[in-house]
Amino acid sequence: MPIPRNSLPPHSEPGSDVVLRLKDLGKTFVLHEQRKTVPSASGISLDVEAGALVALVGSSGAGKSSILKSVYRTYLPTCGRIEFVRADGRVVDLATAPESEIIALREREIGFVTQFLHCLPRQSTLDVVARPLVRLGVPLAEARDKARGLLCRLGVPERLYDIGPATFSGGERQRVNIARGLIVRRRLLLLDEPTASLDAATRDKVIALVAEEKAAGVAILAIFHDAALVAALADRTCEISPPAAVVLEREVA
Amino acid sequence: MRAILEVSGLSRIYGPGCPRCIDDTGPEAGRNVCPHCGSVVAVHGVDLKLMPGEILGIMGESGSGKSTVVKLLNFDEAPTSGHAQVFDGERAWDLFALNAAEKRWLRDNRMGTVYQNPHLGLNLDISAGGNIAERLLMSEVLSYAEIRERARDLLARTQVPAMRMDERPRRFSGGMQQRVQIARALVTNPPLLFLDEVTTGLDLSVQARILDLILELQERLAIAMIAVTHDLGVIRLLATRTIVMRHGRIVEAGLTDQILEDPQNAYTQELVAAAL
Ligand SMILES: Nc1ncnc2c1ncn2[C@@H]1O[C@H](COP(=O)(O)OP(=O)(O)OP(=O)(O)O)[C@@H](O)[C@H]1O
Ligand SMILES: [Mg+2]
Ligand SMILES: [Zn+2]
Repeated sequence: MPIPRNSLPPHSEPGSDVVLRLKDLGKTFVLHEQRKTVPSASGISLDVEAGALVALVGSSGAGKSSILKSVYRTYLPTCGRIEFVRADGRVVDLATAPESEIIALREREIGFVTQFLHCLPRQSTLDVVARPLVRLGVPLAEARDKARGLLCRLGVPERLYDIGPATFSGGERQRVNIARGLIVRRRLLLLDEPTASLDAATRDKVIALVAEEKAAGVAILAIFHDAALVAALADRTCEISPPAAVVLEREVA
Repeated sequence: MRAILEVSGLSRIYGPGCPRCIDDTGPEAGRNVCPHCGSVVAVHGVDLKLMPGEILGIMGESGSGKSTVVKLLNFDEAPTSGHAQVFDGERAWDLFALNAAEKRWLRDNRMGTVYQNPHLGLNLDISAGGNIAERLLMSEVLSYAEIRERARDLLARTQVPAMRMDERPRRFSGGMQQRVQIARALVTNPPLLFLDEVTTGLDLSVQARILDLILELQERLAIAMIAVTHDLGVIRLLATRTIVMRHGRIVEAGLTDQILEDPQNAYTQELVAAAL
């Protein structure tokens, strides 16, 4: 899927090639049982342009993952806007868009690679990786070829392709996860420490793949635990500071 | 894309009903039995939408009304009020305005149901093949040979050994009975399938194989499904979107990962916390 650069119609709100714009995004958890509210991110504003990688940096617990999960709608943001410019130029607020639209965008335009591989059990590694393409209607053989290519570039041994990833090592699972996350070229890619348990050689392979996504015009919002990745890939960093109060007692109706 | 199933204001009250039934039952009241007249408000005010090929989960504690929703939609029971429309890509039906013959036709040709209890979905005393053939006989005219062929094909798809086709399901294991039930539900190629606790009570390894089968069928045949379960693992595996019910009402609805990772409702938070 080619990403049209600078092809947004003039009426679209964000600037020329902005793909994602967060405006004063905030997320607070309301824990009813414990009668607590827990702020996990607040006042986040940033832009990610096509072909750019913005890295979220900040201490552990600062709310970096909450921001990514809010963009993907795994978390429901408490306030603010998450403007996403779709391939057709339409701007949608991911904080409030209908679920059906979020589902469609997750299939085609917005990808999320986390530290952990969540996949269907009892499927071969090749099919786990090929699945997002197959769901878009690409013939199985073609999708498997592409999956094989990605796994190979990430150095996953070929003897593992036909068995399920359940028994894989942390690093192997993570590479399977990355391959699956990159098999469909997205407009926006969210990366949450995708290389946390990889050795230096494999990390360099991931850097090369992510650089290719950037070159193809994909907008990327990322969290990297490793300063070397930030240095190699980020166009900008965005410092996230922990929300003011960690836990507030509050009356819950 | 147009929804294959759209439901609004669905309600079912067992009993005489009184003007205060609705106000004095539900999650806030903490009960589904009306304290004034003793009626059971099994389901009230349920709205939902199912897209073609999508799996929607319904979860909630025992007695919350999950199965009743399915029973109303597949005509096992009649609603007290509400609307439901099925659209199969060509024609739309208002479910609760149909006559008996139309309901039967829709049930035989456009819907399938798999129940937790195989007794409800199968005649355990006629052969596995016969159970499937019976449904074909109801739905369309085919020759004996064609019917046998279709039955054989469906049993193969659901991994029931061909040599067992002429055996009575009473003698089968629970998992095998569920496979035959799924084969029977699917033999008419319905675009809409209701699954009510289909893995509850089965061994874990058997559960896993049934769930695999359901996902494979959904992927290959793009069947839209409503999956009722109190098992969060099943919800996580099967459903893209999920509805949470309590005391006959919907308390929360959303994308499944959001419901499980960021539940908004106090009751959903409790359910999810209890499963961790
Ligand atoms: N025929 C009936 N007459 C009276 N009450 C009924 C009838 N059928 C169901 N109910 C009641 O309606 C409520 C909802 O029942 P339902 O079977 O839908 O629950 P469920 O969520 O499927 O529960 P479970 O998880 O135990 O299967 C329950 O309180 C039940 O006792
Ligand atoms: Mg039930
Ligand atoms: Zn009453």
